[in-house]
Amino acid sequence: MKPAIDKPRSAESSFSAISFDGYDLGQCAFQRPDRYAFFDYLSTARRLIARGAGLSYAAASFGRKSVSIEMTSFDRILRFSEQDRIIEVEAGMRLGKLFEFLAHHELYLPVQPGHGALSIGGCIAADVHGKNPLRDGTFINQIQSLRLFHPGHGIVEISNDCNPDLFRTTCGGYGSTGIIISACLRAAPIPASAVEIEVTSVSNAHEIAAQLVAAVTDCDFLYSWHDCTNPSGVFGRGYLVKGRFVNVPAASCARAPRRHTRRLSADSRAAGGVNIYNCWSTRLMNLAYNRMTRNIGARVQTLDRALFPIHGSEWYFRAFGKSGFHEYQALVPVKLFDRYMSGARHAIRKSRVPITLASAKLFGGNADLLRFCGEGISFALNFPRGGGATELMRDLDFLLGEVGGRPNIIKDSRLPQATVIAAYPEYSRFRSILHAWDPNRVFRSELTDRLGL
Amino acid sequence: MNALVFGASAGVGRYLCRTLAALGQNVTIVSRDIRDLEAEGAHCKSLHGIEVECIAVDADEPHNVFDVLTAYVSRSERRFHTLLFPVGGALEDDQVGSSIDTMERTLNINLVSVMTAIGILLPRLATDGKRTIVGFGSIASVRGRNSNVTYAAAKRGLESYFQSLRYTLSPDGVYVQFYRLGYVATQQTFGKRLLIPAMSPAIVASAVVGDLGRNFGARSLPWFWFPASIVLRLLPWSLFRQLRF
Repeated sequence: MKPAIDKPRSAESSFSAISFDGYDLGQCAFQRPDRYAFFDYLSTARRLIARGAGLSYAAASFGRKSVSIEMTSFDRILRFSEQDRIIEVEAGMRLGKLFEFLAHHELYLPVQPGHGALSIGGCIAADVHGKNPLRDGTFINQIQSLRLFHPGHGIVEISNDCNPDLFRTTCGGYGSTGIIISACLRAAPIPASAVEIEVTSVSNAHEIAAQLVAAVTDCDFLYSWHDCTNPSGVFGRGYLVKGRFVNVPAASCARAPRRHTRRLSADSRAAGGVNIYNCWSTRLMNLAYNRMTRNIGARVQTLDRALFPIHGSEWYFRAFGKSGFHEYQALVPVKLFDRYMSGARHAIRKSRVPITLASAKLFGGNADLLRFCGEGISFALNFPRGGGATELMRDLDFLLGEVGGRPNIIKDSRLPQATVIAAYPEYSRFRSILHAWDPNRVFRSELTDRLGL
Repeated sequence: MNALVFGASAGVGRYLCRTLAALGQNVTIVSRDIRDLEAEGAHCKSLHGIEVECIAVDADEPHNVFDVLTAYVSRSERRFHTLLFPVGGALEDDQVGSSIDTMERTLNINLVSVMTAIGILLPRLATDGKRTIVGFGSIASVRGRNSNVTYAAAKRGLESYFQSLRYTLSPDGVYVQFYRLGYVATQQTFGKRLLIPAMSPAIVASAVVGDLGRNFGARSLPWFWFPASIVLRLLPWSLFRQLRF
């Protein structure tokens, strides 16, 4: 083939490979294609990995010997049928941009994580969840089909009907099966113009499970926030956030609509400098936040504000400073949630780590391959790196093993292979599907290497 | 209103297409790879409800440009108010003494194909309203260096061609504009160490579309490349040859 005059020439380009939670791998090779001919030149000779917005907490979009292929230039709407509510978009499309377009047609994607800067490809690769995973499931539930590129296979279309094993391995496969080129997504009608947010108090950690289960039937969105900064005193006090669609005039919404895609990147997060979270500052912030939110009571928000609650709060992540933070998100069986919380309380007390955020959601459905799904309560903890954080993570791994829960692979850049193998019974099946599809293991990242995939 | 963007699949061309579409103009987009064109066309159509025509043509081959565009003008009735040519590129081995193939292809894509396309499309300019033809050069052509040798020569030739075009078309009221672009964040500059940060192609497109229908001839973009290019031209040879950029 005659080399195109516009063939990307950036094989030796590199970027500062840092995950959103602050795991730093130094410099990694990097390309940013902007046309389809690029894929004609890729071969199985080099290790590759796709990269979207680069906002994964774990190092899923770069690897020590891999070339990261950033897909942000592939950000287009390829097909839209308002009647069938099907939209095909390229993998680099940002959630916020897609929301703007769909909202114009009174449609939306029910499953969306909290920030509009994330790419569709990233949401698929991590099979992210939204504000009501029990009812809506995870991102895979709204995917009709995908186009996946692998240099050994070309571009193939996969779905639940066509090559279902590969489809289910790609959704929640952390980029290990190839580069997602585009996806056909099923949108849903926006039920009402706004979301009424009701906040109800939770006295302590032991009430979380019961209150979540009781509230879930009459909510469109449901999650909780907890103050876990005082493991020796009242632990887990906080509130449930219950969202219901309501029709109100736009002027009645609590805040004006915010811009959808705010600047958020692993680099800008790490540029914050020094970590401001310690036991005292975190305690004060949690007390103030709890009091402030509790007093708000019920309020009405625009849908974009309800779907992307992190917009405008990016400072929270920057305040961890250059060293970064950990998130430990675990899916725990409902019946054993109390036991898990008691163990977590003990581990936090022992480690003296300041917990900056604790939040719970109710999940449903069946566990499958390496996806973070199945029945249970998802409980997430944020805390700064350093100090007793490593020990706390180890204790939580052990505790999770005891209650038969599963950790969220995409949220933890340290998660050991042994913990994943123990927590995910279908680890071997995932690996065998992957190796049958890609025997040379072209698509590898720090995450897939660490997990032995 | 209709516009034609020659080189619309990536970089400045892609954003010109999007900016024009956002203004409600129907666009005809021309590039090598039909996959890119169809994707861009579908995007503009979905977002702005405009009409999009896609023409796949290899700018490496002026004869292919001639054949494809001649066939297009014979079957299409569309008339254009705006013709934009954000097309070009340099090969890695574009140095003094490079191969005939490198020189020929570089001249073709940057100069000969543009001249060929303009020759075919001129009769398809609209007969009313403001009509503009826009060419894109490079600050690399201000003064020759030891890299991008043929590319710089082709772009300087293109600027001369656009001067002739302006002279020829001014009696008909057609505006001919030529932009000498500084560093733009495209595949041409990706991964390279640059003197200053590259400009976003979206910003370039916005500036170009905002100035359509104005009679200014040639312009540097961003503006500070104008005084910088004068300094580069006037710099004594003994100093200029020391520069590495």
